[in-house]
Amino acid sequence: MIREVITDVLLALAVLTVAASAIGVAIVPDTYARLHYVTPAAVVAPVLVALAVFVTEGLNVNTGETVVALVFMIAAAPFLSHATIRAIRVREAGDWRGHPPGEHAVTAEKTKDTEDTEERRRDSSRARETR
Amino acid sequence: MTSFVIAAVAMLIALVPAGITLARGTLADAVIGFELVTSVAVMVFALLAEGFKRPSLFEFPVILALLLFGSGLVFVRALERWL
Repeated sequence: MIREVITDVLLALAVLTVAASAIGVAIVPDTYARLHYVTPAAVVAPVLVALAVFVTEGLNVNTGETVVALVFMIAAAPFLSHATIRAIRVREAGDWRGHPPGEHAVTAEKTKDTEDTEERRRDSSRARETR
Repeated sequence: MTSFVIAAVAMLIALVPAGITLARGTLADAVIGFELVTSVAVMVFALLAEGFKRPSLFEFPVILALLLFGSGLVFVRALERWL
């Protein structure tokens, strides 16, 4: 009896997690924010389902296979999220760094040049003041 | 019907908002919806296997969880390069 109650509670929590994730994915306007709502459904809910199977079955082959599936999902989730964010960034900006390839080096040189010029200007003004 | 089967059906119904995003959103949103749906599909297979007391069906969630990673990366790569 107590096992059934625990199983039902775990399953209800898993369903609620999935429902909340699905609603989050549907209503959030930003694509980057939307990806955050996949994680609870991909990580938290499988843990709850595996626990429910464990409570019902005990330690046997079925529980083991569920845990194996859970491990695969938890291992894959961060890589997949990172790859998805990267792909969206590339689509939007042309490169994952936020600017087209090759532009970064030019920008860096320009920044260095500007800094050198400012430093020279500061040195000359200091020299004028000391005179 | 056991609580496992009810939970599986409830999860599938809960996926409707994500399905709408998948069908009507932009390409990037559709990929995110696909990732959510495949993650939930793994759980639904496990719940149905337990609900119908078919131990042999527990292999489906394991295989799908493995394929989930590969298929997700393929979609993401296609999104990045060709779409």
